[in-house]
Amino acid sequence: MTTTPEQVPDEQHSPDEREKAPGTVETPALAVRNLRKTFGSGAEAVHAVDDVSLDVESGTVVGVLGPNGAGKTTLIKSILGLVIPSEGQVSVGGVDVYDDPGAAYARVGAMLEGARNVYWKLTVRENLEFFAAVGGESPEALRERHDALLEQLSLTEKAETPVNDLSRGQKQKVSLACALARDVEVAFLDEPTLGLDVESSVELRREIRRLADQEDMTIVLSSHDMDVVQDVCDRVVIMRDGQVIADDAVSDLIDVFRTFTYRVIVGTDTDSGPPTEESPLNDAIRMVLTEEFGVEEFETRGERRAFEITLGEPRRFYELMDTLRDADLVVHEVASIDPDLESVFLELTNDENESPLADEGVRSTDATRQAATGGENE
Amino acid sequence: MSTSPASADTQGSGNYRTLLWALAKKRALLMYRYPVNTLSGLAITFLFFGMIFFGGQALSEQALTDSLGGIIVGYFLWTMAMTAFSGLAWSVTRESQWGTLEQLYMSPFGYGRVMLGHISVRIVESFGWGAVTLAFMLALTGESIHVPLGTVVVLTVLAIAPAIGLGFCFGGLALLYKRVENVFNILQFVFLGLIAAPSVEVFWVRLLPISQGSYLLSIAMQEGLRLWELPGTELALLVGTAIVYFGLGYGAFQLMGTRARKRGLMGHY
Repeated sequence: MTTTPEQVPDEQHSPDEREKAPGTVETPALAVRNLRKTFGSGAEAVHAVDDVSLDVESGTVVGVLGPNGAGKTTLIKSILGLVIPSEGQVSVGGVDVYDDPGAAYARVGAMLEGARNVYWKLTVRENLEFFAAVGGESPEALRERHDALLEQLSLTEKAETPVNDLSRGQKQKVSLACALARDVEVAFLDEPTLGLDVESSVELRREIRRLADQEDMTIVLSSHDMDVVQDVCDRVVIMRDGQVIADDAVSDLIDVFRTFTYRVIVGTDTDSGPPTEESPLNDAIRMVLTEEFGVEEFETRGERRAFEITLGEPRRFYELMDTLRDADLVVHEVASIDPDLESVFLELTNDENESPLADEGVRSTDATRQAATGGENE
Repeated sequence: MSTSPASADTQGSGNYRTLLWALAKKRALLMYRYPVNTLSGLAITFLFFGMIFFGGQALSEQALTDSLGGIIVGYFLWTMAMTAFSGLAWSVTRESQWGTLEQLYMSPFGYGRVMLGHISVRIVESFGWGAVTLAFMLALTGESIHVPLGTVVVLTVLAIAPAIGLGFCFGGLALLYKRVENVFNILQFVFLGLIAAPSVEVFWVRLLPISQGSYLLSIAMQEGLRLWELPGTELALLVGTAIVYFGLGYGAFQLMGTRARKRGLMGHY
């Protein structure tokens, strides 16, 4: 992702930044406390989920990321009580999932097996009605809701079609629709866009975002698709070896890994003739840029020169500008090269990388930033 | 959804009857939508009885005639027990292998109650198949038996309750071990043996699943006795075995469900 320094995206907001009525203490839509799940025992014990705690506010979309085997699915299944955890507590809207599963399940919808979540021999509408009834609601009372759901997922024309006759993307949408067939407060979506074409994926993302923004639904989704997570999630939880190694707003997490790397194109004020000894980026300025700013490579672009520079911190940007001005160079273009969620994810989950968070076990924005900057922001 | 104000008002508007209706509707839709599958099941039931009847006639006509009433009642009970057992055990297996099991598990009614609803629907269905099969058998053999409806329904439900218990038990095994279909196939022969077991001659046989029900149903349908005309101790034994086997099966199902959840085996992956 390349943007100019002024165009740093800041569209996502931490749940903490959401406005709350003064004096009110909101019960989190989802609260997970010290959740652990260990399979096996002794030397063969596998800690699939290792002391995970989360609070998720209403209307938040949380993405759970992690490499294969990181514990994402076990975490979600443990939250839902489909896997009995070794330790810990989970509550949905203040209702304990393990003590009162019936009341908790009344508030929850889940899409855990993609298109295999539903009965393919039944029609789309029959599935919606069946799962509404299984969820304790009268299908007749939810007719309008189902119509709206079908409309929003572009399935109205397929309402009376057996699921088996639908495309993969449509089946996936039916699965999502069934998870939302009744009025739920929290929805768990495991790989909701897996196998979808671009158009279907975009539609589904839009719907997930709309549910959170307009219906105040809390959504926990796991995905391997970084674009999906970056696109729809307010917050991302990154897991490795059963532990949460990062838990932040997406934009804040990216900020932590921002290296202030820029692509700079410079020239002279005349830009005429081929590069000569007097041309921009002669040996002297090359040396300054190489030695002081660590620039390794210069690219010739006609009369201009381009180079990539990593400054590490924002104030050095002004030093760079001063240096270039002192050398009588004209800055024609500066583009910020921002990390995306994928590079952040790889940085965090790669064992060999010494990420700024490696020793900290990231839990929050502040902890993340502190770890990354050595407490400079304090 | 955009209809949330309306749906919020109707939160929890359904009840267990709604669930039962949904389970029944789903079953009926599947039977209606796949008529070949439905009818082939019935045809196999008829064919199997035809083989027993005509095979028996070829081997020993007199012996068959003497025991034809018992065979008809026994076969009627067997089809019902098999429908109830396989309806439950196969259902858990298929749902577990497919991915819908977790959805049912997350029902606010609880998975056990969902499966009880499911089996209630299957019992009603099995009475339908049983009636059609009985009519076919009587038409084919020219035999006549008594069908005191209330008595037959009560005795049959109590007789197949242990089969349902076994269905729960093997359903639980399917949650843990996923592929146990071969055991299901063996069970149909076990059921035949239990129905035909000599419960009159050997008392303890009546303590086995289904055997006591088979014995009392046979008396009621062949001799035309009503429920209140049956010996109280025999009825008590039937109720006792029904409760014990059903309870044990349901308990085992819950236990194995908990174990499956502890091991992370619930569901497809």
